[in-house]
Amino acid sequence: MMQDRYADPQTTNWPDLVNPMEYTNPTTVDESVYDDDVVRMFFGATVIWGVVGMLVGVTIALQLAWWPANLGLPWTTFGRLRPLHTNAVIFAFAGNICFTGIYYSMQRLLKTRMWSDRLSRIHFWGWQAIIVAAAITLPLGLTQSKEYAELIWPIDIAIVVIWVIFAVNFFGTLATRKVKHIYVAIWFYISFVITIAVLHVVNSLAIPATLFRSYPVYSGMTDALVQWWYGHNAVGFFLTTPFLGLMYYFLPRAAERPVYSYRLSIVHFWSLVFLYIWTGPHHLLYSGLPDWAQTLGVVFSVMLLAPSWGGMLNGLLTLRGAWHRVRTDPVLKFFVVAVSFYGMSTFEGPMMAIRAVNSLAHFTNWVIGHVHSGALGWVGMMTFGTLYWLVPRLWKRELVYPNMATTHFWLATIGIVLYTVSMWAAGLIEGLMWRAVNERGLLASPAFMDIADRLDPFYGLRLLGGLLYFIGAVMMAWNIYRTVAASRAGAPTPSAATAAS
Amino acid sequence: MNPLLREAAESISLGWLAGLVTAFFIVWFVAWTWWAFSPKNKEKFEEAARMPLSDGGDS
Ligand code: HEM
Ligand code: HEM
Repeated sequence: MMQDRYADPQTTNWPDLVNPMEYTNPTTVDESVYDDDVVRMFFGATVIWGVVGMLVGVTIALQLAWWPANLGLPWTTFGRLRPLHTNAVIFAFAGNICFTGIYYSMQRLLKTRMWSDRLSRIHFWGWQAIIVAAAITLPLGLTQSKEYAELIWPIDIAIVVIWVIFAVNFFGTLATRKVKHIYVAIWFYISFVITIAVLHVVNSLAIPATLFRSYPVYSGMTDALVQWWYGHNAVGFFLTTPFLGLMYYFLPRAAERPVYSYRLSIVHFWSLVFLYIWTGPHHLLYSGLPDWAQTLGVVFSVMLLAPSWGGMLNGLLTLRGAWHRVRTDPVLKFFVVAVSFYGMSTFEGPMMAIRAVNSLAHFTNWVIGHVHSGALGWVGMMTFGTLYWLVPRLWKRELVYPNMATTHFWLATIGIVLYTVSMWAAGLIEGLMWRAVNERGLLASPAFMDIADRLDPFYGLRLLGGLLYFIGAVMMAWNIYRTVAASRAGAPTPSAATAAS
Repeated sequence: MNPLLREAAESISLGWLAGLVTAFFIVWFVAWTWWAFSPKNKEKFEEAARMPLSDGGDS
């Protein structure tokens, strides 16, 4: 078992295009030096939390479409389940795939095992314990009430401890690397490790009053600014940079092509991290924030289009010469759609940051549409592609149901389209009706309910889209579960048998 | 308003400072891009672009 686990023809049998000996540091490493157990653990956590987080998403989508789904219980009301959804999909689903990808690719790019197996295990179990704590406290209504930073102070401290352990292991591995050049994906990971630590600590500073309650050290406008400096950079450094790192590693591998322009990747990495940090104020337009600070946020947001599209183009162009394979390979399909949605949401974002557009979009479902074009399109599809690519590498067995992966792809894609299009339409209707005035200058629809009423069909469509997306994720979980079980049972990969299903 | 923020808001009238910072970052950006695209580094970065492909072992 130990021996043949690493004898993977897939990873050693590269086309003639690649000669590892060409690289400046020709150390070739036997795969067995890598710690892939921790990768498998994070992999499993990603799948499980993904299904859970999306199930909660579908539940709250149902509640918006049909309020009795709140069940009349305090623990299951929208207000408590919504933060459960966002925490589960961001920190559990997206977080665990980032760690999966980082532990897998970092060891291979640096040709060394993780610095400490023990720290890797503490990181894994600590992170899962934090997620469980979140899943218990949020439905109980225990919250700090800062979006994406809802968790109460004892959990916040646990996050700091676990994150520092991860960082020590991460930088320890970097320090003991066997390859001199630090590949661009790892630069993206570094930005993730450092920035999330800083953001989390600064935004969560609070004075504990009891075990469950605390008072933030900031108040008023300062609190809002710190919160959205955090909030937007959570998008930037939790949902964007680590995923660009995954893109720079897994997309070239799946396409078996070198990165289109490594130089572009250097320029767009530094521009991206430099610009992102300043864009928080676009969440506070027309607020009490000083005008110049709002303008600063707008200008940096608009400029952010350039490095974002640099990344998108680099991803898509890496596929040149491999496009014919997109038709048959579900992994590449997921990656193509992911990168395309990255391009779309980073085009939409800068537009929405312009004051005139924001005055229409803000507080409406348009923002929800934007969020999910990034979250379902970019984050979700990158994750699915990476998971499917990893299965045969980690378990030495092809998928039991290869065609099911393609079905998953189509369900997810249709789901995203239904979700985003319905929310854009709903957002425009809300935005336009809220501001409409009659010839006497009075509000045309003074009753909020009149407008809310019109959203019904769109909430229904969104529910349908979310449901398709969720069903796809469940199919993936089943497919992977069966594949792992078959691998454990020692069944070889009968390529004829897999093709038949 | 918070005194810190007020001070920051007032200090923005120091337009020359904003100009200086902007100029600094523009020069930095141009120099960095120049470095990344300089012909001297071409080969090195082309090799780096293949790094993900060469990690499997000893093909
Ligand atoms: C089956 C899939 C999903 C469904 C049905 C779903 C549904 C929802 C719903 C109904 C809301 C509340 C919207 C509102 O308050 O009006 C929401 C919010 C949110 N969801 Fe999802 N979601 C799904 C997947 C995801 C994923 C995979 C992510 C991230 C990776 C994500 C990130 C978010 C975020 C960040 C918010 C808060 C948005 C804001 O405050 O503007 N969702 N989701
Ligand atoms: C160039 C890149 C981007 C820019 C400039 C941008 C800009 C914006 C703007 C202006 C808003 C609306 C704020 C409001 O009126 O309330 C927003 C909301 C949001 N965006 Fe983006 N966006 C970008 C990319 C992304 C990506 C790629 C994702 C996801 C992966 C994302 C996730 C979100 C989330 C979660 C919110 C909702 C925040 C909240 O209110 O809770 N954004 N973004």
